[in-house]
Amino acid sequence: MGLAEIMERGLWLLEQATTEPMARERNVRSGSAVLAAQLTLSATVALAVTIIWAATGMGYFWPMWVWFGLALALALPAGIHSAWAEPRGRLRRLAVHRTLSMIFSVSVVVIWALAGGGFFWPVFPILGLGLAFVAHAAAGSPHQRDLAGRVDELTRTRRGALDVQAAELRRIERDLHDGAQARLVALSMQLGRAEERLEDQPEAAALVRRAREEASAAIAELRDLARGIAPPVLADRGLVAAVEALAARSPSPVNVSAEVAHRGPPMVETAAYFVVAESLTNAAKHAPGAPVDIAIQESDATLVVEVADEGPGGADPAGSGLTGLRQRVEALDGALSVSSPVGRGTLVRAVLPCA
Amino acid sequence: MIAEDQALLREGIVALLQEHGIEVVAQAEDGAGLLRVVAGHKPDLAIVDVRLPPTFTDEGIRAALEARRRRPDLAVLVLSQYVEPVYTGELLSTGESGVGYLLKERVSEVRAFLDAVERVAAGGTALDREVVASLVRERGRGDSDGELASLTNREREVLELIAQGRTNAAIARELVITLGAVEKHISNIFTKLDLPTGDDDHRRVLAVLAYLRAMQPG
Repeated sequence: MGLAEIMERGLWLLEQATTEPMARERNVRSGSAVLAAQLTLSATVALAVTIIWAATGMGYFWPMWVWFGLALALALPAGIHSAWAEPRGRLRRLAVHRTLSMIFSVSVVVIWALAGGGFFWPVFPILGLGLAFVAHAAAGSPHQRDLAGRVDELTRTRRGALDVQAAELRRIERDLHDGAQARLVALSMQLGRAEERLEDQPEAAALVRRAREEASAAIAELRDLARGIAPPVLADRGLVAAVEALAARSPSPVNVSAEVAHRGPPMVETAAYFVVAESLTNAAKHAPGAPVDIAIQESDATLVVEVADEGPGGADPAGSGLTGLRQRVEALDGALSVSSPVGRGTLVRAVLPCA
Repeated sequence: MIAEDQALLREGIVALLQEHGIEVVAQAEDGAGLLRVVAGHKPDLAIVDVRLPPTFTDEGIRAALEARRRRPDLAVLVLSQYVEPVYTGELLSTGESGVGYLLKERVSEVRAFLDAVERVAAGGTALDREVVASLVRERGRGDSDGELASLTNREREVLELIAQGRTNAAIARELVITLGAVEKHISNIFTKLDLPTGDDDHRRVLAVLAYLRAMQPG
């Protein structure tokens, strides 16, 4: 593999060195104009040497070597240029290698023919070039296989990590409910009973009441915290019920149409829920009173959520709320698009893979 | 009877009720237990936690709805850690008589909690002020909602208290106004909301609840 690596490295250096000038050249002059100029120049030179040959007594037909040189000078840049059409990286390097090998192979055959034939010695350089190309192609492919495998693995493990995270969040929410919240409720209840018995000692009763109110505030804070993780109705009844609850509580008139046969993964449900919640909040803020249509569709392991309002449009897709949604959706390999032409309403669309 | 899986809270509520002369005939830890007890002990009132084993989701609500379906005269007071209008709506859809939905921490306000227990057991209603406030507040915000928007702030406060099932006297105490002022507010509310007025508190509560429920789709 040593040779193949040297070639790969050499072509990589060539690529680095030539990418900039080539790009510049493409910008300055169009490729076809350059080609036309080269062809004209070559034809002129070819004609000139042939005339010189004719004028000098027509001996050995040496202009054929000049023609060959001119053809090679045209073929080389044209070949490299077409190989450059491959995407930058390994594929392009292989294409350049292949083109150069072919040009040199053809060249040696032409040289053999021009030199009068005889023993077909070009077989050796052609064989060498072929082997070198095969070595180059084979040297890189395990890397490519590794890379594809790695992408698969990363996709899978990220998905796994997100599912674990979603399960973990729900567990935290459950623990809050059964643990800290339950104890606080029991505590505040005992304080309430104590307060009642202290009716004849108003000062002590006031202290206990303050303690009870603190406990109630802590309960309320824990409740808000748990709700931010995922509203209980989402975990209990699924996405459609949670979205209908959102719709019922929205000040805008909301129409929900849902075609969902089964529950999606928790992370997908939560993301879809927050897409709807954020969009409804935005609609109520920027398009108060305008009707909102929510469509939820499940098809081919994909969940599509659309929230459309008939408001004034002009929403900023780079706003913090929409950016947060986009990150949430993209973390699940989904896509979020926002279309909000001024005067024509706003459409937020999230496509979430559920597989 | 009480269906509550958290022993600490369950025992606390039992002690609280017994101290105030309310007999607790049975305790259950899950939805199936609730239904067995309702069939066996014929309690007047079931106090039910929303989240019960085995699913720890909405088991309690489902069991309470089923119990109401089997025994329509059973009064049910649901305790929840959360304000969830969906569940309140479902509960009310089984009939407005003898239902309640309170946040768990209300048990610490002993007097108010006992009031609610007695009111629900007597066939009245008790909705947590947070539940009512979220319905009234969120519905009253939109421009399209002309009816609630036409209420003054004080009238909205009165409406919230009525919807919680409070009597006129309780409302007057809470808002520190005279009984006459409360009656005037209520009559204004019913005029503005175009609701038929009745003579007794209970019918007015039902009217308000019907109105609140009508605003929830589904």
